Amino acid sequence: MSAKTILYVEDNEFNRKIVRDLLARTSYRLVEATDGEAGVTMALQESPNLILMDIQLPKISGLDATRRLRADPRTAQVPIIAITSYALSGDDQKALDAGASAYLAKPYSPRELLDLIRKLAPES
Amino acid sequence: MPPQAASHPENGAVPAPAPHLGWGEGLARFLLTRSPLGLVVRWFASVPGSVHAKLLCGFMLITLVLIAMGATGLQIIAKMSRQSQLMHQAHDRGTWSLQMEHAFAMQMNFTSLALILKDEATIARILRENNRFNNTMARIEEASPPEERELIQRIRTAQEEAMTTVADIANLVRDGRLDEATKLQVAKEYPLYVQIEALINQVVKIEQDKMDGLRRSVAAENQRALILMGGFVVASIGLALLLGFVISWSFILPVREAQGFLGRVATGDFGARIAVPNRDEFGVLADHLNRMSRELQRLHEDQRAAARELTTLNEKLKRASMAKSEFLASMSHELRTPMNAILGFTELMLDGIYGEIPPSLKGPLTDVQANGKHLLRLINEVLDLSKIEAGRMELSLGEYSARDVVETVTASLRSLAAEKGLEFSARVPEDIPPAVGDAKRITQCLMNLAGNALKFTKEGRVEIGVEPKGNTLLYRVSDTGIGIPQDQIGRLFEEFRQLDATVAHEFGGTGLGLSITKKFVELHGGRVWAESQVGKGSTFFFSIPLRVDKGRPT
Ligand SMILES: Nc1ncnc2c1ncn2[C@@H]1O[C@H](COP(=O)(O)OP(=O)(O)OP(=O)(O)O)[C@@H](O)[C@H]1O
Ligand SMILES: [Mg+2]
Repeated sequence: MSAKTILYVEDNEFNRKIVRDLLARTSYRLVEATDGEAGVTMALQESPNLILMDIQLPKISGLDATRRLRADPRTAQVPIIAITSYALSGDDQKALDAGASAYLAKPYSPRELLDLIRKLAPES
Repeated sequence: MPPQAASHPENGAVPAPAPHLGWGEGLARFLLTRSPLGLVVRWFASVPGSVHAKLLCGFMLITLVLIAMGATGLQIIAKMSRQSQLMHQAHDRGTWSLQMEHAFAMQMNFTSLALILKDEATIARILRENNRFNNTMARIEEASPPEERELIQRIRTAQEEAMTTVADIANLVRDGRLDEATKLQVAKEYPLYVQIEALINQVVKIEQDKMDGLRRSVAAENQRALILMGGFVVASIGLALLLGFVISWSFILPVREAQGFLGRVATGDFGARIAVPNRDEFGVLADHLNRMSRELQRLHEDQRAAARELTTLNEKLKRASMAKSEFLASMSHELRTPMNAILGFTELMLDGIYGEIPPSLKGPLTDVQANGKHLLRLINEVLDLSKIEAGRMELSLGEYSARDVVETVTASLRSLAAEKGLEFSARVPEDIPPAVGDAKRITQCLMNLAGNALKFTKEGRVEIGVEPKGNTLLYRVSDTGIGIPQDQIGRLFEEFRQLDATVAHEFGGTGLGLSITKKFVELHGGRVWAESQVGKGSTFFFSIPLRVDKGRPT
């Protein structure tokens, strides 16, 4: 079985680097996008096995992007982990309502993130 | 009449319609508006003078009329009694005249009888009658008015002549010269008698005429008295009514006016004015009322301006506070992103993602991680508080298990308790029912309380627990720590409130934990309180409805 692809949509370079470094030791292949629109395009293009979606993004928000992906049959079934902002209470629920499979509050522990990824898209 | 009086009827000097208009009231209104009485009333009101003086004048006027009436009455009575006295006198004189005539007739009779009987006794009778005549005559003479004196004088002369004649006749009779005596009687006494009779008749006639005149004048006087008294009665009643009307309405109108005015003021029409023509106490009262109303209006306007200012200020404050909370909300994300990187990289390093780390770096890296987590907690607390204060904190309600809440808290604090050597236990009844609420926030509350308990306890134990109490869940955290003075307990739940500075310094923290706990508990419709004894320990409680309604105001 080939390596699973994970798409991380996040505008902050350092946070992308954390996930990049985290997954470097695993068999996951990481593709990245820096805004909501690019994220949607990338998702359709790369057909990832899992998507990490930050909620606050430039252009279109993570919630809108999630909704669009859910609306498209090609990505309707892909697990999406929403990265929410803790203080914006109700973000969790909004993310789930938009179609996210799970959520993780920022700042997240990389270890917990990896556990969640492994749960939703087990390494082959 | 003062010129301003004429302009009053339109601008409200006439009383506003009374609740029920009796016929008396209707008549008064008619008189006030349709007759010159209205003008008189206003003129009277405008006369300068006190109410007391005006009332006194009114009563004095009526009293004067009554005094005049009494005086006139007395005068009339005096006049009438004088006339009746005159009538009496005239009547007496008439009677006396007739007696005189009678006496003379008797004298004549006895003279004739003496001629027949020729005795002394009859002659003596003649003389007696003659005396009677003279006596009566003397009375008349005394009482007669001057115009009758001459007549009386003539009667006396005739009588004296008759006297002499009778004396002569008597002598002739005594002498037995009867023929001569008879002749004398016929020739002299009889004509004298006729003459006297005519004179007396004249007197009687005069007296009767007088009496007639007097009777007529008494009747006329009676009539005059009747008319005069009637006039007085009518005049005094009319005057009393007029004065009563004028005086009372000159007082009632301003009172009514003031009443209406106060009614308007009571309904908030400040600055209303009254026009009262009175220049008495009522005028002063009206001036005071107008001053009061002006003052009220001024105050009202000041107050309104102040209120407007307050509203705009409030609006500004609200906008500022909104801006602040908006700023904090976006700050939340902005702060969290670098925090994520700091904590993330630290964890990756500690996990050996970048290769084995030298043991000397392990400690510092752990410190970076701990302080990063602390910083994160502070950021979270400040942001939570500002969101709650801006009224934008929303609970995400859902079904949860109180057991899970307690377990989450114990799990994350167990190692800390162990480090401090404290006994740490949790108590949850077996049959605890499932609950509805914001589990994350409730966990946060319990975490704050338990964290405090561990923080402020040096030895002994910390116990956390939850139990159902009616429709609520009662969470409890008790410790054997330093305790809290009784008078401070209530204030702990205020923001940034920490007990004395040395304690704060020793134990650290910002003083936000309890105030956030309180706010979250209240958002759930619950309440939080504490019991404590200094040196012995504290117990913190919060109770939360078992099933928190959706749509609770946040
Ligand atoms: N269990 C306790 N025993 C004794 N004192 C307490 C206890 N809990 C709270 N206090 C007192 O109440 C104060 C306020 O508590 P609170 O949790 O609001 O702030 P903090 O713990 O000082 O700081 P923070 O929780 O924000 O880090 C504390 O500083 C302490 O003085
Ligand atoms: Mg605290």
